Amino acid sequence: MEVAPGQFLLAKLDEVARWAQSSSVWPLTMGLACCAIEMMSVQAPQYDIARLGSEVFRASPRQADLMIVSGRVAQKMAPIIRRLYDQMADPKWVISMGACASSGGVFDNYAVVQGVDTVIPVDVYVPGCPPTPDGLLYAVNLIQQQIRQGGRGGILARA
Amino acid sequence: MPSPQNPTVGGTALDPTSLRPPIDDAEIERVERDALRDRLVGLRSQGMAMLLDVGAADYPQREPRFDVVYHLLAIPTKVASVAEVGKPRRVRLLVGVPADDTTLPSVADLWASADWAEREIFDLFGITFTGHPNLRRIQMPDDWEGAPLRKDYPLRGPAREKTPRPAFPLKSNVPAGTPPSGKVAEALQRQIAKARNQEKPS
Repeated sequence: MEVAPGQFLLAKLDEVARWAQSSSVWPLTMGLACCAIEMMSVQAPQYDIARLGSEVFRASPRQADLMIVSGRVAQKMAPIIRRLYDQMADPKWVISMGACASSGGVFDNYAVVQGVDTVIPVDVYVPGCPPTPDGLLYAVNLIQQQIRQGGRGGILARA
Repeated sequence: MPSPQNPTVGGTALDPTSLRPPIDDAEIERVERDALRDRLVGLRSQGMAMLLDVGAADYPQREPRFDVVYHLLAIPTKVASVAEVGKPRRVRLLVGVPADDTTLPSVADLWASADWAEREIFDLFGITFTGHPNLRRIQMPDDWEGAPLRKDYPLRGPAREKTPRPAFPLKSNVPAGTPPSGKVAEALQRQIAKARNQEKPS
């Protein structure tokens, strides 16, 4: 980008689009377990995910760009999560938040899916039980970096 | 004649409820399966307006194998004296269910709260309630097989082996009295030895 004498701003359209896209990553309103409490505090003023442009938790998967899997995924919930993921419009990203979503965590039993990546593709894993809100913020930061570097997310990234 | 409802001496050790003294807050009562429905109807006519919960327990080596527990509550509407105000009457009704015939009469027509509670027992213990209006799974997925809260149900489900995990050296794996090892421990021991050598001359 450079500023010309006549007060023009010249930039590549692609870069502008990526800047806009990365500054408005809208998560899906979906809390699964205790990690959701940390996710809510990320949205609250103390951590304030609005600084990254991600404060708009959408109630419809059609309007969401980012799915935060916040908590253990029960066997009964797994097909629903898959369906929500399929309903999200491309490009889309997934954060697996916490030990349970990433690997089943302490719930090595019949009722809990051993890692949400057996159901949907995951872009960023956040360790912790639960992760700190800073950890989740950093994960959103990593998603933004991916977008700015040309990552597409979702099906297109794996085409 | 020993009733199947009264566990044997060997079975007593496997059934904590047979050892437990009566708790003050509730009258505990054991009934035969055939008499269950009549007893519950009778209790309801005595003012047991609330069925708080229906629970179940599995004692695999006992006969009868399962216990189903009805938690009943009566809140007195016409109290005889001021002392009785706020003192509800509680009854805990236990019924044994043998493993080869896991059926019980439903009481969903008497208390609406029995509907979901009985569905939960059907779901997790595989005990069927005859006469229930809508007996299907309530917690597990509809196509689930087996009754997960039975003691012989494998913890990780019938189809899955244990998830491989990295083996961490845990503190509990180290026998007591083992001297600390590793670079940090060696450095600490050197420091301690150095400090002691310095102390000696004084």
